[in-house]
Amino acid sequence: MIGTSARRVGGVERVTGRQRFTGDVRLAGMLHVKLVTLDCARARIAAVDTGAASGVPGVRAILTAADLPRPIPRYGPTYRDRPVLAVGETKFHGEPVAAVVAETEEAAEEAAGLVRVACEELPAVLTVASALDPSAPLVQDPELRPDDLLGRTNIRREWHFGWGDVAAAGADCVVDEVYTFPMVTHFAIEPHAFIAAPDRDGLIIWSSIQHPYLLQAAIAEVVGLPLSKVRVFAPDPGGAFGGKQHAKFEPLLAFLALRTGRPVRLALTLEETFQAVRRSAFEIRVRSGFRSDGTIAFHDTECNALMGAYADIAPRVIAKSGYLICGPYRVPDARIVVRALLSHTTPATAFRGFGTPQVAWAIESQMDEAARRLGVDRLEIRLKNLARRGDEVVPGDRPADGDWAEAVSRAAAAIGWGSPLALGRGRGIAVAIKASATTGASYAIVRLHHDGSVTVMAGTSDMGQGARTVLAQVAGQELGVPLERIAIVMGDTGSVPFDLQTSASRSTVFMGTAVLNACREVRRQLAEIARELFGLAEGEVVVEPGIVRAPGLELRYEELLAQAWGPVRGELIGTGVRRGEHVPAHPLGGPPAFYEFNCTAVELEVDRETGEMLVLRHVSVADVGRALNPAHVEVQDEGAAVMGLGHTLMEHLLLDEHGRIRNLGALDYRIPTTKDLPLELRSLLVENGDGPGPYGAKGAGEGGLLAVAPAVASAVAEATGAVIRDLPLTPERVWQAVEALGRGGRPDPPAA
Amino acid sequence: MHGFAFVAPTAQAEVTGLLEEHGSEARLLAGGTDLVVGLRTGAIRPRVVVDLKRVAELRPGLSDAGGRLAISATTPLSRVVRDGRVRQWFPALAEAAATVGSIQIRNRATLAGNICNASPAADTVPALLVYGAEVVIAGRAGERRLPLDRFLLGPRRTALGRDELVTSIELARPGAGTFAAFGRLTRRRGVDLATISVCCSVDAAGVTRFAFGAVAPTPFLVADESGVLADPDADPETKDRVLAELTGLARPISDVRGSREYRQAMLMVVSRRLLRSVVDGRGKG
Amino acid sequence: MSETARVSLTLNGEPRTVEIGAGRTLLDTLRWELDLTGTKECCAAGECGACTVYLDGEAVNSCLVLAAEADGREVTTIEGLGSGGRLSRLQEAFLETGAIQCGFCIPGMVVAADALLRETPRPTLDEVLQGLSGNLCRCGGYTRICAAVLRAAGAADVTG
Ligand SMILES: Cc1cc2nc3c(=O)[nH]c(=O)nc-3n(C[C@H](O)[C@H](O)[C@H](O)COP(=O)(O)OP(=O)(O)OC[C@H]3O[C@@H](n4cnc5c(N)ncnc54)[C@H](O)[C@@H]3O)c2cc1C
Ligand code: FES
Ligand code: FES
Repeated sequence: MIGTSARRVGGVERVTGRQRFTGDVRLAGMLHVKLVTLDCARARIAAVDTGAASGVPGVRAILTAADLPRPIPRYGPTYRDRPVLAVGETKFHGEPVAAVVAETEEAAEEAAGLVRVACEELPAVLTVASALDPSAPLVQDPELRPDDLLGRTNIRREWHFGWGDVAAAGADCVVDEVYTFPMVTHFAIEPHAFIAAPDRDGLIIWSSIQHPYLLQAAIAEVVGLPLSKVRVFAPDPGGAFGGKQHAKFEPLLAFLALRTGRPVRLALTLEETFQAVRRSAFEIRVRSGFRSDGTIAFHDTECNALMGAYADIAPRVIAKSGYLICGPYRVPDARIVVRALLSHTTPATAFRGFGTPQVAWAIESQMDEAARRLGVDRLEIRLKNLARRGDEVVPGDRPADGDWAEAVSRAAAAIGWGSPLALGRGRGIAVAIKASATTGASYAIVRLHHDGSVTVMAGTSDMGQGARTVLAQVAGQELGVPLERIAIVMGDTGSVPFDLQTSASRSTVFMGTAVLNACREVRRQLAEIARELFGLAEGEVVVEPGIVRAPGLELRYEELLAQAWGPVRGELIGTGVRRGEHVPAHPLGGPPAFYEFNCTAVELEVDRETGEMLVLRHVSVADVGRALNPAHVEVQDEGAAVMGLGHTLMEHLLLDEHGRIRNLGALDYRIPTTKDLPLELRSLLVENGDGPGPYGAKGAGEGGLLAVAPAVASAVAEATGAVIRDLPLTPERVWQAVEALGRGGRPDPPAA
Repeated sequence: MHGFAFVAPTAQAEVTGLLEEHGSEARLLAGGTDLVVGLRTGAIRPRVVVDLKRVAELRPGLSDAGGRLAISATTPLSRVVRDGRVRQWFPALAEAAATVGSIQIRNRATLAGNICNASPAADTVPALLVYGAEVVIAGRAGERRLPLDRFLLGPRRTALGRDELVTSIELARPGAGTFAAFGRLTRRRGVDLATISVCCSVDAAGVTRFAFGAVAPTPFLVADESGVLADPDADPETKDRVLAELTGLARPISDVRGSREYRQAMLMVVSRRLLRSVVDGRGKG
Repeated sequence: MSETARVSLTLNGEPRTVEIGAGRTLLDTLRWELDLTGTKECCAAGECGACTVYLDGEAVNSCLVLAAEADGREVTTIEGLGSGGRLSRLQEAFLETGAIQCGFCIPGMVVAADALLRETPRPTLDEVLQGLSGNLCRCGGYTRICAAVLRAAGAADVTG
């Protein structure tokens, strides 16, 4: 069972269209919501006139900030900084000023178009440079940040990490460069959908959310209800990638449901999701010192990360990625300055990789630059500096916990590193580590029914990574039950116990362990029943998966339960917990439970005349400890690799001078299609059973995208001589870089 | 979407009647792949949408007579791409039509819709220009024909009068010895709108024609009558000079798909490559 | 002229009639008036293919079709594939190759792939990549989806 590629639990529903996503939920008497937004990022709201809009037939309510309690309820996972509706001023393009509730979507949309907002556009902070400019307007009111020394700046938070003494560190070669990573959006194929409904003296929320329990807490707080009166249903999300971790418009819907007394529904358009979630943009300056043999002497880094108007979880993303910016290497001295900057843009949130793609882009590109300057092979420089098992990557923190060099060697072999290259081609290789979840709690309940079948209740969200399948496999393995006889109940805070979150590739490790512990608890109970029933002593009963054994006795679980309970029947309930406690002294609140390591290698061809690239081969090697379901792990990794190609080659949100997204929508925001795949895409797994999860598993599913950009850029540099430090590597950008080089000394363009 | 009335007339006269009555308040619907997007975004807000797909005179199909191929206004591009005559006589049109959208789009989108939408980046237009396509127009007063380059007046602007519609597009079969090819540049390999597009043909007399898309308010046609471009033995530098003159007539703009400089440079690159493949094909053919 | 339309169509083999606003797309009509929520909406602009259905035997984006256009026509949705509760060979292949992740793109992907196999029963990988290029998946990198299509094509009864 474990280690087999069991079919996806829920696969049949998905392939037949029967899977119910949040947007498919239909409730009696359900009303529809449309948001009223302005045509620019930042504007002072003078007046909101709902007169004409209320006249539209079918309109039931129009909510403006004036209808909400004062001070306006605010929410957010890091700071309570996001108002339920804009008050006084909008802070990003797409921030709602009002919400219309109507009997039909059409009526809501029509009325939303008739709400007149008298407003005055104000200058907006849209870039890192302007966010750092002391004369720029403040994005957040300093009164929201009392006692904050930075309260009168757009720096929401600044961290100083590092070790050793960079100033004193000597080096034979110093590389000092700036790298940029633009805003990109998640583009889950399921746009966010939300429903809120009054429920006696409480509320029920449906949301395609990754963290139902944090949503429950957020709602309870804004409307002033106890947790027990807020029930969140979280149907499996249709892709999330971090963009569905935290509350977005659910608090607004909660107020609308309370106000109308009816269920209210909001399904975002794809365009609205672009205005709702994105990844933090980074500008990273790195000054790195190397010895002449390629050994790293120091990294001196300054990361300016552009968040949006409200913090969401971005400060955590920024801190966590900055903390590990030096990557999977032994770095004797490091100085790391990290800033989380506010701007008048879509609030940035978690995005698969949690900041690591941004920092790996900078550091791995530095490794290449050093290799080129020192005449050291790019693979060699990595192997030379890579931390071996037990080596510290951040002094005092969790040491390297995998055979990373093995993964690198496998990637190199798979890409044919060092073998001759055709003209116009190049190879690149890059590595990255991501800190997994640090703290957090997962609870699971495993119910063994009297017929021997099993129900697992786990608060994880299955958003495509296959959590249902893996948790069923764990329970099946432990209790000797085939998957067809296991039900997984998720996505209901009213019946399923607490889980902090589904993120950071943590579920297999955290929830998997909780389920494992719950199963073992069930087995302990079975042993006790057998001992009591047959008058046996401790040690005489052995409970194996599916079978209870004692001298002269061999019973299936259901047989034992039938004998013990007779016609009254019953069930065994095992609970399991996995907690990672908060460590106040640790800069991240606790050491990571494991590192997710990836090595990506590519070979590609560049058309020097047009800048177009064709990835011929793409290899991703992930150290997963143990793949509980190899097919699932591989497909996750392949998906991550292709998503990585997206942000590497084509994805970026472009803003105009009003702070509006110029490529708002699928037409001009490009993600990879089937025709943009590498000709060959391979995902290889390193399995040494050395993870903290069940059976030695580590988390997986983010690795494949961490190191794509630097690997591709490295290959482009080899193919053309052009080094590019800004993403994405669009054909135009590559062309410009090649043009800038001039033709001097470079090989002629390959024949077309 | 805002409210409008939907009508699906069965006779062409009803269509022109409705157009006459409602003018710009009426919109014709062929495949809807531009129109429905516009309705959704509110970019267009007609009072009446007139579906052309049930009009008897406009039944989908391609017909040839006297060396001319007529493609009716409701023929989806997937059918145009598959048609043997198009592939044989107008291969660059087949190539261009095959690049439009995805298969789902091509199962709906029409050639007439592509030209009537009058986008500077309409992919079939460069090929139609090179092949000298004629637009057949019907109105209350009867039928008229316009060469495509006189039909297209600017972005989203055509020569259609208030009561007129396009009934078909006609192409004269090129003389023996004509070779043509279509090429374009996009931001990704999958479904995308063109950053630039080019169609190139060389005829038996050695005249080379280019039509350029997405680099001017409308795709436009240029020609080299000197025979230099068609001459396989002409000196590459001279050819480049001629090409640069032709591509220099483009007036590209910068937008999210590409900068002016990139477009201008790529026009040259793609044109040079297409020319080479056409001239090579001609040499072999 | 009225802003509503009465539409009679054959939906998954059954005659159905609905009264709707003339501006309603086929996608919205399927999802809201006809209770078939298997067909998904993402971009509503013809770019993602999540809404792919058969209209008179051809794969189309139902977000770009007005429901009124479907009057008198045949529409088959994901719910209409397979027969008698049994999965089609293609659907089976999606399960076997592990092509499904979150599953949101999958109904549209399956219909598009079904259409591809009807048109080209023995496609090459290139033809599959080409034929599915109008269907976006953000989860899985497409390789297994293509593998599923090729696997189904290897079987005798492709879409039955
Ligand atoms: C996802 C997607 C991808 C696309 N990719 C491409 C691409 O790669 N290349 C490209 O060129 N285009 C592309 N398009 C645009 C579009 O598909 C084409 O322009 C298509 O040919 C339009 O044809 P239609 O039949 O759908 O037109 P419709 O949308 O029905 O009509 C378009 C316009 O023409 C008018 N019209 C239609 N028929 C007539 C007629 N007979 N007489 C007078 N007026 C008429 C309509 O009133 C409307 O204003 C894409 C569109 C989408 C949604
Ligand atoms: S929803 Fe129709 S193509 Fe995206
Ligand atoms: S499986 Fe999630 S979008 Fe395709």
